[in-house]
Amino acid sequence: MAQCGGDVSRHRKAHLETVESLCQGLLDDDKCRAMFGYLQEWPDLGSMCYNASLGEPPLAPEASNGSGGSGGGFKKRRPDACLDTKGESNSVCKRPRGKQQPCDPDQMAAAAAAAAVGKGKPERARAGAKKKAELALPKDSPATSASTVTAGQKTDYIHVRARRGQATDSHSLAERVRRERISERMRYLQELVPGCNKVTGKAGMLDEIINYVQSLQKQVEFLSMKIAASNPVVNFDIVEDLFGRQLSQVACNPAALAAMAMPIGQVELSCLQMSPLPAGSPGFGLEMFVNSNPYSPAPGGAMSVPAGASVESCLDVGGHKSVVFDMVCGFPAAAFLNLWVVFCTLLQVHGAAGWDIGSQSLFTGFDAPFQSVQSE
Amino acid sequence: MSSRRSSRGSISDEEINELISKLQSLLPNSRRRGSSQASTTKLLKETCNYIKSLHREVDDLSDRLSDLMSTMDHNSPGAEIVRSILRS
Repeated sequence: MAQCGGDVSRHRKAHLETVESLCQGLLDDDKCRAMFGYLQEWPDLGSMCYNASLGEPPLAPEASNGSGGSGGGFKKRRPDACLDTKGESNSVCKRPRGKQQPCDPDQMAAAAAAAAVGKGKPERARAGAKKKAELALPKDSPATSASTVTAGQKTDYIHVRARRGQATDSHSLAERVRRERISERMRYLQELVPGCNKVTGKAGMLDEIINYVQSLQKQVEFLSMKIAASNPVVNFDIVEDLFGRQLSQVACNPAALAAMAMPIGQVELSCLQMSPLPAGSPGFGLEMFVNSNPYSPAPGGAMSVPAGASVESCLDVGGHKSVVFDMVCGFPAAAFLNLWVVFCTLLQVHGAAGWDIGSQSLFTGFDAPFQSVQSE
Repeated sequence: MSSRRSSRGSISDEEINELISKLQSLLPNSRRRGSSQASTTKLLKETCNYIKSLHREVDDLSDRLSDLMSTMDHNSPGAEIVRSILRS
């Protein structure tokens, strides 16, 4: 006590440093500096802290008290050592510390995070050792600082641990708080974004997050397109108009599936644009298979061909039967044309980058989305 | 992560700011802020919320697709298409 008082009266700075060193939890240099600044604003805090720490053991048993943690605590987190010889350890601790002592980065970060955030990151508390002189920000009364040693985690004010050797002005203090907030949010995002755990470093994580957000956006867009596209498909009136009655037959008779493919060549391009997509995109896909109907069987023919075989034959034209057939055989009754319509839509959604619109056959161009789908 | 000093040459401040502005551009409410400096925290928070809302939207759309399919005639080609969509 006496020394506290003496310090205080003697030299503000020295006193601050002393107190700061006493605050064992201050493992972060930044925190120390902030603490300095903080203490400067609260002249009495140091003494109060002292008294609090010295007068009564902090709520946290091992914490001993914020002030108890002398400089030695910075690196080693030994509240006891700090507690004992405040005067000596002060000199010992803080002097060697220097200005940029990173101390123990992990501990610092943990303690800093726990302290600065003050919002309750118990897991970061690294035992109570870190929770030394938890000096609340100026908005809090110093009297509560001691009580916040253990309860600090649950209180809503922000505890900032000033690191020794760091700037002690309030700006750094606020900066530290801000940084801690950002780190907290980054951690939260890390949990939210899959795969973020493997990346360390702010830039890497940000990159991951950006990619994830973009992929999510694309996914949403894709699903919306799907829903939009599937609606007109469900409405067979449209399809019937396009292909006459054959489609309605197809709906109930898989065997007529092949027949469906036949009239494709007759389809008007405009008719195919039933989805709310821009005219160009789905058009080109369908146009592909309108113009380059790979199979030239007579329109309306092949009605009697079994669905499977016909599909196979159709698919075989472009030599890509396996891919498409895998898709189709899953549902023999599927309206192949409808599939194409939808997939063209899908292509459009995906930018149809893989489409070789040129003079490629339907299946060639059509293969791209299938393959991509299959590979996914 | 809290101690990001310039000693880490691999990650420069500019890169981070660039990434942050890029992220900001992705967010739907990216207002024209003079600087994202003060709102980095808010930006991250908005990103969290946005990701969550995207999750919800994806789930919602998937549900809608499923419902759409269930309401349709199961044997209709449309249903097959939707099923294929959901499968992919």
